[in-house]
Amino acid sequence: MPSSILAVRGLTKRFEGLVALSDLSFELERGEILGLIGPNGAGKTTLVSVISGTLRPDDGELTFEDHNLKHLPAYRRARLGIARTFQITRPFPGLTVLDNVAVGALFGTGAGTRELPRARALAHEKLDFVGLAHRADQRADALGGPDRKRLELAKSLAMSPQLLLLDEVMAGLTLVEIESVIAIIRRVREQGVSILIIEHVMKAIKSLSDRLLVLHHGQKIADGAPQQVLDDPQVVEAYLGRRRT
Amino acid sequence: MTRPMLWGAAGGTLMILAAVPWIASPTLIQFGISTLLLATLAQSWNIIGGYAGYASFGNSVFYGLGSYGTAIAMVQWHLPFGVGLALGAVLAVAFAVLLGLLVLRLRGHYFAIATLALAEVMIAIFSNLDIAGRNIGLVLPLLRGDALFYEMSLGLLALSTLAIAWIARSRFGFGLISIRENEEAAAVMGVNTTLYKVLAFALSGFFCALAGGIHAYWITFLDPVSAFDIGLNVKMIIMSVFGGPGSILGPVVGAVLLSGVSEILSTEISSLAGLFFGVVIVTAVVFMPRGLADLGRRYKKVGWHYFADNVRAHRL
Repeated sequence: MPSSILAVRGLTKRFEGLVALSDLSFELERGEILGLIGPNGAGKTTLVSVISGTLRPDDGELTFEDHNLKHLPAYRRARLGIARTFQITRPFPGLTVLDNVAVGALFGTGAGTRELPRARALAHEKLDFVGLAHRADQRADALGGPDRKRLELAKSLAMSPQLLLLDEVMAGLTLVEIESVIAIIRRVREQGVSILIIEHVMKAIKSLSDRLLVLHHGQKIADGAPQQVLDDPQVVEAYLGRRRT
Repeated sequence: MTRPMLWGAAGGTLMILAAVPWIASPTLIQFGISTLLLATLAQSWNIIGGYAGYASFGNSVFYGLGSYGTAIAMVQWHLPFGVGLALGAVLAVAFAVLLGLLVLRLRGHYFAIATLALAEVMIAIFSNLDIAGRNIGLVLPLLRGDALFYEMSLGLLALSTLAIAWIARSRFGFGLISIRENEEAAAVMGVNTTLYKVLAFALSGFFCALAGGIHAYWITFLDPVSAFDIGLNVKMIIMSVFGGPGSILGPVVGAVLLSGVSEILSTEISSLAGLFFGVVIVTAVVFMPRGLADLGRRYKKVGWHYFADNVRAHRL
């Protein structure tokens, strides 16, 4: 078995003239937390969408475990063990919070369980894990912003993924809430899940990530240990602009 | 209520309804047949429209195919009714699968519009088919026995309701509901959205076709315009939405209530009957867009605020 769980080779995605991802290559090691950062519009969410299968790349190869993902639809990738959250949360508004998560257990990796009671039991476990169990019986559209983020997380965890793609699950949270989400993500990794995380909260991503990958205009401009990457002049320039001399 | 009690209540209701032909007047039995068939149609629309969230205007086509399948088998090939019914169902399901693969890619209004034109196309086709009696239509063999038609219609409604009760608690149903609530989120969670939508469409078509077949044999006459009547599709939607789309019994209650009131109005003041459906649609959409089923669940908790909340929520 290869040590990397996900391999990306020469990935390119264009939107009518705009190059969102340009010849991007990297690997995600098994059990690793890889932080993905970059200025707005760098192509981070596009990358997550291309890996999860909601966007088709124009060029490049995607390999997950031993599977070539290129021609697999999103649902097949989910069944292989890839789960994602959405930056702009996408709950099933008319369903209860519990049943939102149960969908992940009913489908998800290996096509999930067929039995509703078991799926709901698992969903309850995951809600407990992210601290949302007290709202299990409410409709999802009754949740506020921070709870919606937790729901996104619970839905993806209920799929029992091998690879978890987290797209700004901490945006809009308070410092205390961020601390608790960091703890949750650490525990998910301890269970052997490999994680690709996009985050703007620099303190969080620095403390969580084993490695940082920086995107700028769809290109990889840095890849390495967090502190080393953040000190890289090229990265500083991408974020803050060129130092005036 | 516990589950055994629920099944008991359902069984009891079914037995009482099954006894109707022995105690009711012929007029009432006839009203019963058409109401039961309408309720079945509302249930069939409920599968694709209520659960999967795709507002289909193609269901009157499935109904027409079921009618013609039955009629052609019986009139042209002298086959028994059961075989005709099966043929109609096969036709409708095959059509639903082919059509579904094409138009279920479209979402929201686009899907509705794509299915809207189908009935007219079918009228044009069947008006020119010799085997379907062209635009004159077909006359089926006469079977006197409203009680039999009543029991068949009741059986079909029970079957479609059972199917929906199963859907509501199954993995398949959760897949459909997740598609309705957010299709992209459903796909990344592992729901095979294309397959599920096509299956829902086919199941919806199956029940429509059976209702069409029973209706054709009961009325004994069939022509393209009445078989592919888009107005019937509108009725299914109104009854289903009024009763509660995406609920197990809502569409049945909606169908019974609406056809009851409409029947009374059309005998008493016939000019008002047409207006009635219009008023019901507008009122229901404004004050209770989720139907009677949701009203029943929530009214106890929030009282008359329920209506005000709906008006506010939809910014009317």
